[in-house]
Amino acid sequence: MNVPIRALGIATSIFWIFLIGFIALAAYSVKDLNFDIGEPQFAASPDGQLMFSLPLYIDNRGYYSLKEFYLSTVFSDAEGAEISRANTFVPVIPHGENVTILHNVTLSADSLFEKGEQYLFNDNNLSVAVTAGLNFAEIFPAQISTNFTFPWGAPFYNFALGEPTFGRFNSTHGAVAVPMSFENHAFFDLIGNIRIELYDSGNSLLGESQTAFNVPQYSSYDGDAEFHVPLNTASLSAAQNGHCNVYFSTPIFEYGPLVIPYG
Amino acid sequence: MAEQQKKNKNLVRDISFRVAKAAVKAILVYLLYFLVAPMLAPLFGLIPGLLESIEVFVAVYIVLMILGDLTAKTVFQYFFGTARALFFMAYLLLSMGDSVFSTSYENFSLTVNLTIFYTIMVLLSLLGFATTILQAINFMHEKAEASSNLQL
Repeated sequence: MNVPIRALGIATSIFWIFLIGFIALAAYSVKDLNFDIGEPQFAASPDGQLMFSLPLYIDNRGYYSLKEFYLSTVFSDAEGAEISRANTFVPVIPHGENVTILHNVTLSADSLFEKGEQYLFNDNNLSVAVTAGLNFAEIFPAQISTNFTFPWGAPFYNFALGEPTFGRFNSTHGAVAVPMSFENHAFFDLIGNIRIELYDSGNSLLGESQTAFNVPQYSSYDGDAEFHVPLNTASLSAAQNGHCNVYFSTPIFEYGPLVIPYG
Repeated sequence: MAEQQKKNKNLVRDISFRVAKAAVKAILVYLLYFLVAPMLAPLFGLIPGLLESIEVFVAVYIVLMILGDLTAKTVFQYFFGTARALFFMAYLLLSMGDSVFSTSYENFSLTVNLTIFYTIMVLLSLLGFATTILQAINFMHEKAEASSNLQL
């Protein structure tokens, strides 16, 4: 019985040595793992999608492959409602290899602006929950998660219409100029047009104006919306106050009417 | 008389050898702990109570190992060997909790699932436990066989 017991003892010792060696190699491999995050890229597609691409560089110089790597991001608004969710999955990152992973997040501009004017006219902070995980050395599934805020720049920040100024266009029509200004705080250039309907106090449509704009990101716009209104005493007196219905149209989103009173 | 003196001399030599062996093994284990502990230093900050827990584990393990070596060639050696294996398993089972290691740093949270790793360790401990039990049975069997041979 001595021999089998000794063999069992030796086998146990060998298994322990293997396990300790494995742990030492795993610890050494963690030291040789390199994760780097590249510069995020933003783009707006014509179909109304805002694309956010985050490049991840993983240099696996360790002794073990990384398996089932995943990255998940959830964007939510201040109330906690989910705006967008994106997942990236890489089955294997072999050892000794340098891998670049592109994590793409798509935000639907239409659905974002449907949630409220706040994203169109006011800068905001979106909450982002990031979860990344992998299976290290086959037996150590690990997960890291964090939360941070993502600054959202409003494309029509501080949008304002000034007081209309009345002038004469011709013998039958008068010219009404409405000053219009905003700042494009968004991470994309803003191209499109703004249609404004001018209503008098009796809710009658006095005129309509279309203004095309091309405002690069982080720059401001100042201009006038021009209207031609019929010249008669009744209409002029009624036009001293009223409201404007503003419609925004860009390749990325449509929004309107935004009702702004004047007078 | 001379034989008694020789027997006593052998006993003293045997005990001295056991003490020396126990001391050397204890020093080696403590040296291993002394060398490995600084490598785990970053973890001590993240996991409160880890250092104290490891210190208690090393202390109890060394005491049981010394007692096992001092009582070598007696059945108590196997008692202490079994106690050491059981203590190791109990320590693992108590420290593993739900087998998920979680820690937070600023607003980052790290979770590592150690179920498979702990399972392997517990299985190896069970193997060690089985070995000491078998050794104890074998020791008792040999002792019984020796006494029955003397009776014959």
